[in-house]
Amino acid sequence: MRQSRVAEGELSDEGLLAGMAVGEQAAAVSFTRRYQRRVFGLAYSMTGDAGVAEDVAQEAMIRVWRHAPVFDPRRGSVASWVLTITRNLAIDALRLRRAVPTDPDDFAASAMRSNEHNPEDSVHRGDVRHTVRTALEVLPEEQRRAVVLAAVYGRTALEISEAEGIPLGTAKTRIRTALIRLRAAVEHAEGVNHER
Amino acid sequence: MSDDIEETGCDRFADELAELALGVLTGRDRAGALSHVESCPRCAEELEQLSRVADTVVQAAPEVEPPMGFEVRLFERMGVADVRARRRLRPSRWVPAVAAAAAAAAALAVGLSLSLSSSPAPTVAAQGHQNGVVSANLVESGETVGHVVAFGGARPWMSMMLADSTARGLVNCVVVTDDGVTHHVGTFVAQQGYGAWIAPLHVNPEDLRTAEVVSPSGTVIATATLG
Repeated sequence: MRQSRVAEGELSDEGLLAGMAVGEQAAAVSFTRRYQRRVFGLAYSMTGDAGVAEDVAQEAMIRVWRHAPVFDPRRGSVASWVLTITRNLAIDALRLRRAVPTDPDDFAASAMRSNEHNPEDSVHRGDVRHTVRTALEVLPEEQRRAVVLAAVYGRTALEISEAEGIPLGTAKTRIRTALIRLRAAVEHAEGVNHER
Repeated sequence: MSDDIEETGCDRFADELAELALGVLTGRDRAGALSHVESCPRCAEELEQLSRVADTVVQAAPEVEPPMGFEVRLFERMGVADVRARRRLRPSRWVPAVAAAAAAAAALAVGLSLSLSSSPAPTVAAQGHQNGVVSANLVESGETVGHVVAFGGARPWMSMMLADSTARGLVNCVVVTDDGVTHHVGTFVAQQGYGAWIAPLHVNPEDLRTAEVVSPSGTVIATATLG
């Protein structure tokens, strides 16, 4: 068994998941401490209830821990995987409890005003959060609501059209236009990073 | 000719590709879009790109400190052993800080040196502005609604207690330094106007001018004047 070990704080997300997959407790502890604020933050931003958000966040972290061996990096980043699990659980919790989700404007406002920066998290440098938050900020409000309702709250175009009181075609156009604008922003940011 | 046919087909699925990428396309629409993507490399590529972007939206959510004990309860469910023994006593992040703030307050009162980490411990002074320690009341509409204490040393940190405030739900803590720059410290949950946290501070406490509790919309709820 290898005794030398890279400090846990320097391990990539994928490295920590690999450690969790083979039952390494230190990896589970480190991964949890790296992600618990993001997972709880997403759950709370969607539900607006600290108790529900804790249930969701706990279950999400348990699922990540149990399913670490089947994570497929070809299908996306670890952050995307973990937060999608969280999002889906939050949607289920809201439906099960027939609770009212937070307003997409509140979610967007919280996201856009967040500016987490921790010099200790070297692996998180250059992450996509800043880009997406900035891109959301410059979207027209109706497009931002549409894409947040779909991407975060899992609302279909029909549900958005009913909730917003707009024709189905308008809802579809808002979703598509917003997503394409977000893509342009992400691609621009990636291009800038590559030039550096 | 065939290009025209393919273009028409692709155009028909333009909206559906976005919804498919977001995972909100259902039923017959979903089946039709998937069938088209299988036979159209260009739309398959488009779907892959849109899916990658769609996945980033949830990542925009703010970080929020979980309730006290979250980590312990989680590790117990995971069966992670010796969690309490392995926990770093000095919090590396904001933690709900009833115990930590109480310890800090006690240390302030008696002028003890508080050792909360394996790194050199910050020296805690009895006064509100001494030996790299600054403190002030949080004031909201002329009323004291809490207290802020910032500690210097090799790894500065600060504690904040909030009570009887109008803060509800998500709130941000920011500090403003003497050069006028605002630094975001963290995002937290205030329950019924109450909250208590402790967190690392990435600026020198003696450079602090104010610490503020700010709503997600940017409204300053309470302010502590530190310098």
